[in-house]
Amino acid sequence: MTATENPTNYKWIGTRPIRHDGFDKVVGKARFAADLNLPGQLHGSIVRSPHAHAKVVSIDTSAAEAMPGVKAVVTGDDFPALDPTHPNFDTAVNCMARGEVFYNGHAIAAVTATTREEAKAAAAAIEVEYELLPAILSIADSMAEGAPLANSNNYTRFVPPGDPSNLATVTNLDRGDVDQAMADADVVVEMGFDCAHVHQGYIEPHACVVDSGDGKANVWCSSQGHFRVRSMTADVLGVENSKVKVTPAEIGGGFGGKTTIYLEPIAAKLSEKSGRPVKLVMSREEVLRASGPAPSAELRIKVGATNDGELTAIDGWMAYGVGAFGDMAGLIGAMSVASYKFPNLRMETYTALTNTPKSAAYRAPSAPHAAWAIESVVDEIASELGMDPIDLRLKNAAVEGDLTAMGMPHPKVGLVECLEAMKASGHYQSEPVEGASRGMAVGFWFNIGEESSATVNLNEDGTANVITGSPDIGGSRASMALMAAETLGIDVYSITPIVADTESVGFTDVTEGSRATFATGKAVVEACEDLIGQLKARAATIMGVEVDEVAWVDGAAVSPGHGGGESGEPLTLAQITAQAKRTGGPLTATASLNAAGAGPSFAVHCADLKVDEETGETEIVRYTAVQDAGTAIHPSYVEGQMQGGSVQGIGWALNEEYIYDANGAMENASFLDYRIPVASDLPLIETIIVEVPNPAHPYGVRGVGETGIVPPMATIGNAIKAATGVRMTSLPMSPPKVLKKLNER
Amino acid sequence: MSQHRAFTGGEAVVRANGATVGQVINDLEANYPGLGSALRAGSSAGIGGEIHAEPEYLKVASDTEIYFLAPVVGG
Repeated sequence: MTATENPTNYKWIGTRPIRHDGFDKVVGKARFAADLNLPGQLHGSIVRSPHAHAKVVSIDTSAAEAMPGVKAVVTGDDFPALDPTHPNFDTAVNCMARGEVFYNGHAIAAVTATTREEAKAAAAAIEVEYELLPAILSIADSMAEGAPLANSNNYTRFVPPGDPSNLATVTNLDRGDVDQAMADADVVVEMGFDCAHVHQGYIEPHACVVDSGDGKANVWCSSQGHFRVRSMTADVLGVENSKVKVTPAEIGGGFGGKTTIYLEPIAAKLSEKSGRPVKLVMSREEVLRASGPAPSAELRIKVGATNDGELTAIDGWMAYGVGAFGDMAGLIGAMSVASYKFPNLRMETYTALTNTPKSAAYRAPSAPHAAWAIESVVDEIASELGMDPIDLRLKNAAVEGDLTAMGMPHPKVGLVECLEAMKASGHYQSEPVEGASRGMAVGFWFNIGEESSATVNLNEDGTANVITGSPDIGGSRASMALMAAETLGIDVYSITPIVADTESVGFTDVTEGSRATFATGKAVVEACEDLIGQLKARAATIMGVEVDEVAWVDGAAVSPGHGGGESGEPLTLAQITAQAKRTGGPLTATASLNAAGAGPSFAVHCADLKVDEETGETEIVRYTAVQDAGTAIHPSYVEGQMQGGSVQGIGWALNEEYIYDANGAMENASFLDYRIPVASDLPLIETIIVEVPNPAHPYGVRGVGETGIVPPMATIGNAIKAATGVRMTSLPMSPPKVLKKLNER
Repeated sequence: MSQHRAFTGGEAVVRANGATVGQVINDLEANYPGLGSALRAGSSAGIGGEIHAEPEYLKVASDTEIYFLAPVVGG
């Protein structure tokens, strides 16, 4: 349902047409990366490190190269050595180790052969001699004084040059006088929390087919952004971007995990050496061991408040464990503290290296960890003050002009509207069923803009092709078609949305930061507006009037007093395109932009759950997600994003975790042992879309793909507290952990 | 960002001149050696509630507040 309807009376936006890609996916015609097969294609297999940290003394590939069907073998020596300051240096080393392995699962060599079985057998025959190095497996070990280096190529970023370090970022954000505010507070709550690594859990493993036969690497792969695949692959191969062409396959889930590359340069190099196309497909075990989980985290949060519920200060310490390659998880985590006014704030955050798989983005990266801790502590404050948790949050909710942790004021945001919608919901207004208890929490995510391009071609019959470079990872085809239909004034089913390869559409950044519907949609709207100008000019020619005498109304050119054609009626788009050749040729328009003004999105979640005090098992009996979408272009897709984020957050909250042995080997690298929620684990996730339009988008769009994963962990933790009196401080809140806490009461 | 205070003697807010963000960064580099390089190595600019990526040539009026932020990424 939608809580606050956008007052604008749109014809197409806000409707729920059948998705344009739906039929192909339902009947199995849609082609994912592993579905493609080329003539003469070979299959590849990758050798991965069994050690968390080691020097590579030697690699003997001779036995493998002599095996039946083997056509080529590659190691790190086959790839150019990038300068350590190169932006994709870490990506290159992560794709294929060069003399040192940094985690269990790190690629060390690869083989291609006629069949997958032959490639696997040959990979097993490659002999690697390692010299073990100290392995850093926890944040505490990484940050300990005198700790050995997880990766001696890492230096702390954005600071004056120093020595190699286990810290990739060190961030201190502050305002006001936190110590005085804490001293003056009526209530102070301080708690520590931790989160394990979790995986994005996309169903489709990483896969690609690469044909380097004509001096250009032709890549077919599943990704969140084929232009980024192009630039990263080119950098790892040491060639110009123009020597790589990437054609996007359908994508079977990404959630941030497919914003980078793992296989493409390896397949390209194997193809180059063998002279044949090469397919590489990760197994589920490889996906879990070698592609990016979300960071682990250790957090300590202290909040002060007055007796009437004003949150006066927050003092936080947060450290994120990101694997052996630096990123900005800690910095982004600090920046994600933005839900409450907090006149006094101090956040100290770290990004710490560990000898575990290189972390990758996962829906609103770093924000779920921070929200888990902060929303748990805020819940404790509400409990101590005897306040309704929504009322406490409403009293402190950030509005336009309030400062985020990073110091910048919020633009127009919809947190208050989301809280009010939840408070008025049927869920919140009713009592939990017998035996169940309730928790709620808030989540925030920035959203981003970045570069996008779109080309819109009008066909002779009045239909349109909308061509973009954003892979359809969550409904963007339908959303682009709806925005084009609304702008042009034609039927949404007369539009064919197309995701084009890197040589057929203008540059488009990777789909991350919930940016596709915002930024690429903005490009589509601009291209359509350009076309309307052209259509009016053609109509003026046909009508015999000046162009400024023509208006575009509901998909047709209108010129009062003149009309068009023999009947004098308005000229429809189809009537104009039918005469395109007579009036100047094809009608086409392209727009490209670097979009600013991505509107931040807030979400509020509420869960009712039961805890089995004999087993520690948690059963969610009701769950509602409220989120500000700005304007819901296709409400079903918005609801799907909200439900998907909620479900992934529920898995993160209750079950999911990387379990390592003492040497850093993942012990649960399968979906049997790495337990993601399935439909039978969950109630229907109820959704309420709030619409506070983003003034920086022509239709008011805010990204919706990420915020939904931010509140679930604290929502569930708060409900478990309500149910049992026990405050869970370690994720996941799995039955053994809950039972242990219950037994400690 | 707080890291940049290492270049400004601990100051969180400093004044700089320029008609574009790039010119402002150049002025910061002149007054706080190393800061311009650090900003160009990775930051976006928050101006008027909007975050701008690669803002080198973005025009700014006098008395504009620019928040240099980490280059925000996402999933």
